Amino acid sequence: MRGISVWLIALLVALIATVQIRSEAEVERSLVGIDPTSLAFLIDDLHRANESLDVEKSYLDQRIATLQSGSSGAADRVLTDEADRLRALEGMIPVHGPGIVLVIDATGLTALDLQDALNNLAVGGAEAIDVNSRRVVTGVPVVQTGGGVSIDGVVVVPPWTISVIGDPTRLAEVADLMTQQLRADRRVREASYRILGDVVITSVVSQRPFVYAVQS
Amino acid sequence: MTRPHLATFALIALVALVTGFVLAGQIRAQLLTPSNQLARYQALVRNVQELEAVNTDDRRQIASLRAHIDALESDAAARSAATQGLKNRLNDLRAHAGLVAMHGPGIEVTLRNGVPGPDTGGKSGYLVNFQDVQDVVNLLFVQGAEAIAVNGRRVTPLTAFSGSEGQIVIDQGSPFASPVKVDAIGDRNRMQEALNDPSALPDIRARQVQFQLHLTFEGSPSISLPAYDSSLQISHVSPA
Repeated sequence: MRGISVWLIALLVALIATVQIRSEAEVERSLVGIDPTSLAFLIDDLHRANESLDVEKSYLDQRIATLQSGSSGAADRVLTDEADRLRALEGMIPVHGPGIVLVIDATGLTALDLQDALNNLAVGGAEAIDVNSRRVVTGVPVVQTGGGVSIDGVVVVPPWTISVIGDPTRLAEVADLMTQQLRADRRVREASYRILGDVVITSVVSQRPFVYAVQS
Repeated sequence: MTRPHLATFALIALVALVTGFVLAGQIRAQLLTPSNQLARYQALVRNVQELEAVNTDDRRQIASLRAHIDALESDAAARSAATQGLKNRLNDLRAHAGLVAMHGPGIEVTLRNGVPGPDTGGKSGYLVNFQDVQDVVNLLFVQGAEAIAVNGRRVTPLTAFSGSEGQIVIDQGSPFASPVKVDAIGDRNRMQEALNDPSALPDIRARQVQFQLHLTFEGSPSISLPAYDSSLQISHVSPA
């Protein structure tokens, strides 16, 4: 009887020790890389991304339906509308729409600072951006020069007035965070933004012809 | 009491003592909390994996729908010279928007995580982050890159880079981590010279020294880039 008790207790000890060690090891192994907070942000981002993809699918389905309708001029209308949309997206035509205007007055801000600001606005859903009457899309060179920061070869002297078209609510959230951070920067004299029902952007970029890239 | 009995009692006492220590340790270590944490963590991971699967499927469907539209447009263009003209102009705009697969000479840049330093105190400087990718992409555009893809995701005029702690998100794609491959079509000599410039990419260069972050690049006579397969909606913009 006593022998059985001893073995039972020993078994219990071994069981608890094993569970404990395996549990802790598993936690450690699975937590390598991403913490739960970052995972929660990823989930939020993926939900938003998948919603955008659903909207795109619906838009493409509509275009297919129009093209398949076979009505006279339907294809020409679809092609013209899509060309206009892409010209706006690529910054080739003046545009307007709801958005924000951000003003940053500072000394010593660099091209990297401006690139970060532009990327933050892009993450916030910016659909068209202008800095001091220079249109900016991803790919337009923002460079540090001896005279300051240049956009597409032209120096943009502070204060920077950044006009942005997009969802004003999302853009305002981004601008709020940006201006808070900027005001904490000693180089910055002023950082403010205002929401506007209609932001007009008249600057445009020229399309560069492909020299090296060929359509596959 | 016989000697075997004494030994048995001593053994029982020893086992009870060990059990007591283990139980006390268990209570202090709060076995249930880590287990719950693990379950919650696994639920989050499953959620991410499910959303990523939906994301991948959605992007595959978008690529398929765009191919279908292209075929329908080509059919219409074959019936009318005016439509063919519109289609040609649209193809050029699509190529510049990243909606068309491209190939040509260029450069392949690879970024890999470094090694966590002994005194980094939890800092993540050894990880490749989205700002690193953004900086490399910007540098390549400044040097005349005509088309760029990051880990097979095509960069468009609206592309945004985000992420946290070594996770990189481009536009509406799933997050990815090191290694990161940036492929660019353009003047490879010019791009290589810029990447060799010790004053370029100062943050990455500092972390190369501190954390052995890897930045390598190689010119190639032929780089192939896929077409963009996500959303390019601009619902708030209207022509002025």
